[in-house]
This record gives sequence, C-alpha cells and structure tokens, in this order.
Amino acid sequence: MGDDKILNEEQLSGTEKTTENQTPGEKGDITSINTPFLSKLRLNVKLFLLLRTVFFFFITIITALFIIIFFLFIVPILQENASVKKTEIANNKDFKKGADYKKQVGLLTKDIQRLTRKYNTYTSGLSYIVINTTDNRFFLYKNKKLIREGFCSTGSLMMLKTEKGKAWVFKTPRGKRWIQGKITNPSWRRPDWSFIEEGSPVPSKDDPSRYESGVLGDYALGIGDGFLIHGTIYKRFLGMPVTHGCVRLNDEDLEVVYNTLNIGSKVYIF
Amino acid sequence: METEPIKKVSGGKITFITLICIISAALIYYSIMSMMSPERELSRLKSLPGVITDEKNPVDQRIFTDSAYLKMLRQKSFLQSRSLMAETDSIYFIVNLSDSTANLEISGVSVHETKIKSFRISSILMKGDEYPILTMFSTPLTIANSFATIKKEPVMIKMAPKDTSEYKPDVMPDTSIVEPVNFKLEMTNGIILYVYQEEKEKAADRISFRRFDISDRVTDTWNSVKSVAQFKIPQYHPFIKLIIPRSDAKIIYRALPKKGQIAVYR
Repeated sequence: MGDDKILNEEQLSGTEKTTENQTPGEKGDITSINTPFLSKLRLNVKLFLLLRTVFFFFITIITALFIIIFFLFIVPILQENASVKKTEIANNKDFKKGADYKKQVGLLTKDIQRLTRKYNTYTSGLSYIVINTTDNRFFLYKNKKLIREGFCSTGSLMMLKTEKGKAWVFKTPRGKRWIQGKITNPSWRRPDWSFIEEGSPVPSKDDPSRYESGVLGDYALGIGDGFLIHGTIYKRFLGMPVTHGCVRLNDEDLEVVYNTLNIGSKVYIF
Repeated sequence: METEPIKKVSGGKITFITLICIISAALIYYSIMSMMSPERELSRLKSLPGVITDEKNPVDQRIFTDSAYLKMLRQKSFLQSRSLMAETDSIYFIVNLSDSTANLEISGVSVHETKIKSFRISSILMKGDEYPILTMFSTPLTIANSFATIKKEPVMIKMAPKDTSEYKPDVMPDTSIVEPVNFKLEMTNGIILYVYQEEKEKAADRISFRRFDISDRVTDTWNSVKSVAQFKIPQYHPFIKLIIPRSDAKIIYRALPKKGQIAVYR
C-alpha cells in the first residue's frame, strides 16, 4: 500500500530516480513542499507535470520582468539618489563684512548690469515682424508692442524632382532677415520650377509668358534670396504651408505690414 | 542499527541556486557601478577648463558658500550664455526653470514663449557643486544629436509631370493630423534635454510617450551594461525633462537648427 504513494520519477520523466524511502516532498526540487494536497496532486502525473511547467514558466517570466524593470527603472532611480556632494550654504556673516567679499560682489553686480543693458538693446524699438512657419502665423511689432497678428502661408516643404535629377525644396528660410526692398503692384516673374511643376516647357529668360501681374497682391516686401512677403489670390490656404518659400498674407494684413515695416526692418522667421 | 539517510541535493537545485547568486551579484555590481557614475561626472565637470579658479587672483572659496553671491553668479552665467547666442542670426532656445518658461529667441528677440507645465532635473545639476555647474551653463549648450517622434522637416517628394496632361494641382494639406510630440536633444557636453508633450488624454499619445521613453531607457541601459561588462563606470548623462503643450513642443523642435544652442537658468 505504502509503495503506491511513492512516486517513481523514472516512470514520470525517464531522467531522475527516487529511492523507495523518499517521499515526494523530499525530491529536492523547489516545488518540494510536503503537503497532503501536493502529495495527492503528484499522484495525478499529467496534471502535476503541467502545473510544474506552468509554475516554472511564470517564475521565469517574473524573474525576467524583474531584471528588465531593475535595469530600466530601478537603477536610474538609484543613480539619481546616489550621494552627490552638495554645496553647503554657510552664509558666513563675518566673511560678508570683509573687503574681499564686497569687492567680488561689486564686480559681479557690474557684470550683470553690463550684460543686462547689452541684452536689452537687442530688442529693437523699431518695427519688426515675426513669422511662425509651423503654425503659419505672423506677429507685427512696433515700439516693442504687438500691433497685429494673423494667419499667413509659408513654404510647403515639398521637394519637386525632375527625371533629369534637378530638385527644388519649397521652404521658407528660418532665422533673422531684413526688408531689402518694397514694391507696389508687383508682378511675378515665374521661375523655371513654376513651369516644370505644371509640366509646361521652360521658356527663355525674358519670355513674356514668364511675367504675371495681380497674383502677388498690391504690395511685396523682399527679404533676400528672392523670397518675398506678398499677397495672394489663394486666401483659403492662409494658415497652411502651401507656398514655394515666400510668405503670403491677406490684403488687409499685407497693407498694414507694408506701411509699418521699412527697408532694414527685421524679419524673424522660425 | 539505523543510520540517518544522507540528504542528496539535486543538480537542478545547485544550478538554480548558482544562477540566483550570479544574477544577484551581477545586479549588485551593476547598481554600484551605476551609482558611482554621477559623482564621476561631477568630477569631470570640475576638471573642465574655466572651472578651476584663477591661481594668480585667488578667490576666497568661502564666497561659493554664500547664497546671495551664488544667486548673482547664476544670473551672470545665464546672461553670459544668452548674450553669446544673441550675437548669431540663428534660432536658439532659452529654458528658465526659475519662472517655468521656455523661449525661442533670435538675436535677443523673443519670438515664441511657452509655459513649462512641470520639469525634472538631474540631482547632479540641482544639488551638485554650484560653481562647476554654473561655469558649464555660462556658455551655450550645443545640440549634438536629436531624436523625436516627429520629423524635423517633413519634406514630401513630388515628381514633376512630363507634360501638362499629367499635371495635378496641389490639394489642400491635411492640417487635422495631430502627431504626438516628444523629443530629446543630446548636448555636446553630455547633458540631455527631454521635451514631452503635456497632452496625454488619448491612448495614441500615451503609447507614443511610453515607446519613446522605453526605447531611450533601453539604449541608455545597453550602453551602461557594455561599460560595466568591461569593468568601467558607465557614462552618466545629466538631464533636464520638460513637459510643455504639444503645439509648443512641435514649434520648438522644428524651429531649432540641428546644431542649435540652448541656455538654461535654474
């Protein structure tokens, strides 16, 4: 009868042996918890093996998860809490009364005043315009005050490629520029890409078909390298990145911008 | 006479215990090496040129323990860094942790401002010796690499039509697409600036943030593990983490040049 309760592991797995006197609880693996429940469970060989496999599977998963969490999250926390020598604030009153301290503080105060003055001179009291190419908005300033803001259209970031390998990127240049010219009733001299984009043959440089009037609005302000701030007939596209690099404004905004900015006025594009 | 049976320890048990010991030892070793890295980074910062005080005109070191003096020094360091950047024509980024604002500036003119919802800063930058940290911040931080969940310049390629019959006018761009915006800027001096979007209501936003964060942690951990395996203290990167609105994060990331500059006031 007693022999019935002894589990012959050789029969179960074919790899390990148990002695006659050895109870399942003494088998030596980590599941060796000698309880009547487990002893009964071991009698059901298939179920026991399945449960043991599941148990080891979960233990492995949990261990792996712990190691991952340890490396990715716990160590950075430990790093941040590692002792770093902190500056001890003494605020020594006797030292503060000394000439050396006063001299150093005096030098530092002068430096701060000089740098602050210098920095304040950068923001001009003259008129300037700020153009946000991500949101397609503009902000017009006069005497350091915002006097007008609204939508504009900037470069579409489209790259036009030809089969011959020529390419143009329609992008509004970022950074600091200035107004280099002001024109009323401008006409547009169509560049090569304008014809290539439509699949039309490119005419000669002075061909009359290159000139179009009325498409740039009533005014245009040059900001260098052929880029302009001008009007548009595509008003529904304002607030969207659709241009070939120029900045388009609606008629009312363009008039205010034209009348506010002078040649030399700064244009900040970001 | 009955003898007590000798308890046999199975091979599996020995392997298991050995494995546990090896893993534990490796984890402890890795933790110790990692915890040593911030202190080593601080030592490196102290040894940088400009940090060592002038030997000809020595300054009483007690001055660096005076809070009023340190506050002024912090102000000077920030102004100095900003002034250097203002002399260029390019776009730079100002992070003012003291009043929780972040600005884009061009030549000293603030062109875009955003409120920082919350921020986290490395203990080394917060608690470390003031003087070397302030010296480091007195010159602009320059971006070495950047990683983001959005493209820096979303250039679309369009092939030119062969003739007018193939020409199709441009359609209106779809501006309703909202991409999650999270990015990190690695500076040349080892500092990392993380910018995360504030909005996390949508599942896509949370998934994007988790993916970005986990991939960053995995890369960092992998580099650390490689160093520790060679018995070296891993590289520690002091960080500044900012949470700002998505639209502002997008503007800042797209506006900053690839090798752009940053000034930090804390």
